[in-house]
Amino acid sequence: MSALSFSPHLHININRNPKLTPKRRAKPNKIRVSLQTTFPQATFSDPFVIQLAESLEDSLPSSSSSLPQPLPLQKLRDSSSQTLLSTPWPSRKDEPFRFTDTSMIKSSQIQPITRPSSSLDVSTDAQFPSLVLIDGFIQNSALNLSNLPDGVYVGSLLGVSDGIMKRVSDFISEFQCGDLFWSINGMGAPDLGVIYVPAGCKVENPIYLKYLSVEGGNVDSKKLPISNPRVVVLVEEGGEVGIIEEFVGKEGNDCYWANSVLEVVIGKGGKVRHSYLQNQSLNAAHIKWTAVRQETASGYELVEVSTGGKLSRHNVHVQQLGPDTETELSSFHLLVSDQTQDLHSRLLLDHPRGYCRQLHKCIVAHSLGQAVFDGNVKVNRYAQQTDAGQLTRSLLLEPRATVNVKPNLQIIADDVKCSHGAAISDLEESQLFYFQARGIDLETARKALVFSFGAEVIERFPYPSIRNQVVSHVKNLMGTTDVSFS
Amino acid sequence: MAAFLPSNPSTSCCSFKFSNLPSKSHVFTLPALPLLCRRSNYHRHHLSLNRVTAALSAVDSPLKSSSDGQDEKSQPLLQVTGLTAVIAESKQEILKGVNLLVNEGEVHAIMGKNGSGKSTLSKVLVGHPDYEVTEGSVVFKGENLLEMEPEERSLAGLFMSFQSPVEIPGVNNIDFLHMAYNARRRKLGQPEIGPIEFYAYLYPKLERLSMKTDFLNRNVNEGFSGGERKRNEILQLAVLGADLAILDEIDSGLDVDALRDVAKAVNGLLTPKNSLLMITHYRRLLEFIKPTFIHIMEDGRIIKTGDASIATVLEEGGYKAISGS
Repeated sequence: MSALSFSPHLHININRNPKLTPKRRAKPNKIRVSLQTTFPQATFSDPFVIQLAESLEDSLPSSSSSLPQPLPLQKLRDSSSQTLLSTPWPSRKDEPFRFTDTSMIKSSQIQPITRPSSSLDVSTDAQFPSLVLIDGFIQNSALNLSNLPDGVYVGSLLGVSDGIMKRVSDFISEFQCGDLFWSINGMGAPDLGVIYVPAGCKVENPIYLKYLSVEGGNVDSKKLPISNPRVVVLVEEGGEVGIIEEFVGKEGNDCYWANSVLEVVIGKGGKVRHSYLQNQSLNAAHIKWTAVRQETASGYELVEVSTGGKLSRHNVHVQQLGPDTETELSSFHLLVSDQTQDLHSRLLLDHPRGYCRQLHKCIVAHSLGQAVFDGNVKVNRYAQQTDAGQLTRSLLLEPRATVNVKPNLQIIADDVKCSHGAAISDLEESQLFYFQARGIDLETARKALVFSFGAEVIERFPYPSIRNQVVSHVKNLMGTTDVSFS
Repeated sequence: MAAFLPSNPSTSCCSFKFSNLPSKSHVFTLPALPLLCRRSNYHRHHLSLNRVTAALSAVDSPLKSSSDGQDEKSQPLLQVTGLTAVIAESKQEILKGVNLLVNEGEVHAIMGKNGSGKSTLSKVLVGHPDYEVTEGSVVFKGENLLEMEPEERSLAGLFMSFQSPVEIPGVNNIDFLHMAYNARRRKLGQPEIGPIEFYAYLYPKLERLSMKTDFLNRNVNEGFSGGERKRNEILQLAVLGADLAILDEIDSGLDVDALRDVAKAVNGLLTPKNSLLMITHYRRLLEFIKPTFIHIMEDGRIIKTGDASIATVLEEGGYKAISGS
């Protein structure tokens, strides 16, 4: 069985590789170009981006001190600064941003956060080993690393052994498919969180990453503090680990911009279970990259529930590096206010017998809410006997609520099993009637059905405590706390 | 008790006034006996009344007065008069003037060919949005049923088991039952009960239907076999209770053992006060749950009403034997 959807632009690299633009001067450490001098020379340079890059660089804690930065971080900043030179701010004319309006960020006064805010008492879920990042800075004081097996490292790049440093160095800045926001993070990340799992090590307890945004402006001030948290997860051959990422603001509806990157490298036969909760302030911008590289026979599972942010975008990029890999992506986006929630995912299958499943669900419960889904699965020539499935379902609960979905499969291999589907609907009348026929009023029935729509994804979180936390959070947002679920 | 009211009524030998109907609607007097006689000796009279019909007459005395002093006699529970209904979308007429009376404590069965309107009648009674009532009236426990929302009808004591109940992914069966049960308790002015108490209430009912407990943790009807769906419907009936339960083809797709379980549970729910309306194609069900009356439906009308013997006639001669008469 085969299906063919050939695109003539199949091998075009999305990103401009800095090495392909030799005209631009390599500026290893600091961009010194000012608006006036760049204008005539760099036709691809965007003054706004350059200015942002400069202010990010100035904000880095190292720029004033003479302490040498660890090599991987230096490498990352160098490549990012080069990329930023030639990457304009995205407009609606660029396909990846066709439905996603980023002007909210651009029109604000972006302020890099220069130092971690004076230590807060951050409570984390004590049952899991955890790492706390406040405005992108790793809080060493809040590190809870009990019950971790020998050889596993969780913490800042500054504390790693030489061996791990070398491994991180091998992978960092290798990823070539990022966009502007990826590079902004690379430029502005003050530190690099590292989770390292040695070969054959199966970490029993999941590692909890709490990203807290503390700095924030109010809506009228137009101030938008930016943080650039970055974490790399390295799982060696046969290793297994679960990670839970949670993004939250402090209470209130502050304006801030969390521009986060997570890189995951899974060695042969390794496995990563990734739980991702995005619960930012409803005035925040949240841009997130998750880039995953999977070696032979490895497994990666993502379960995502995103509810926060005025503008929220999750870019997921999963690349196979060998045969027999398994990938499962499940996402649930809930929009209860005037907000945009975007999921851009890309799965690259290049090797035989890959398996992947993607489920995207979203509920738009506000007339000015907009959900965006662009899910690309690319089954290349050598990815024979691939089993790929993709499904997106959207519920629009208000008049003028919007969803833009673009599920797409590009298949070049000829011996594959692939399916995809998209459905956009209101609640099923027959289901509503079933509730009513048992004496349950329409309002309660609607709430129960709306909740159940997302429950399909929430049920997939591997940890009961996370599941319960998400269930009560989602019910709160939907105002269903009065419904008598047991 | 069912009163069969033909479209051209003639005088009744024992007309009895009945009037808790809206003043504007046609008011029929009904055969008196069901109200006057005890259930046990009703049959004899009813047979003799087979061709006796009600007379159209002005009614001046309200029902209450006529039933005063007869508290031990059956009270009318459901009174359907001249009910016509169309499919909401296509406006195709399905029910063309249905008359039906169900008294407290009676078991009725409606039989008829496919497409005769049996299931439509049951759906219209519970307020299914696919159908629109165009004429006629339905009085349930003295109130105008047609003005009530579907959930109000349920809370008023009307239950219908669906012929093919819909799957509701993401909603746990026990949560669903719990929600429905608490909705009922609220209506009755009783305090809601918590999950543990509810489980204690539920467990014996589950056992009675030979259902496993893991059934409760599955999503409503999702992946249920035909038999499991039917049992689940009866479980809901057992949990919620009803003054009038309408069972729409509860026997289809059930094997003999399952049918026996279901019938046993239904019989266990019957009291002298509540009533049952079964819709079925097969006499088999009627052997397990004995009907007081059988109605034959054809082309949107009830064309014949009689006792259990009709089913035998039907089994032997088919619907031709009945519609020919």
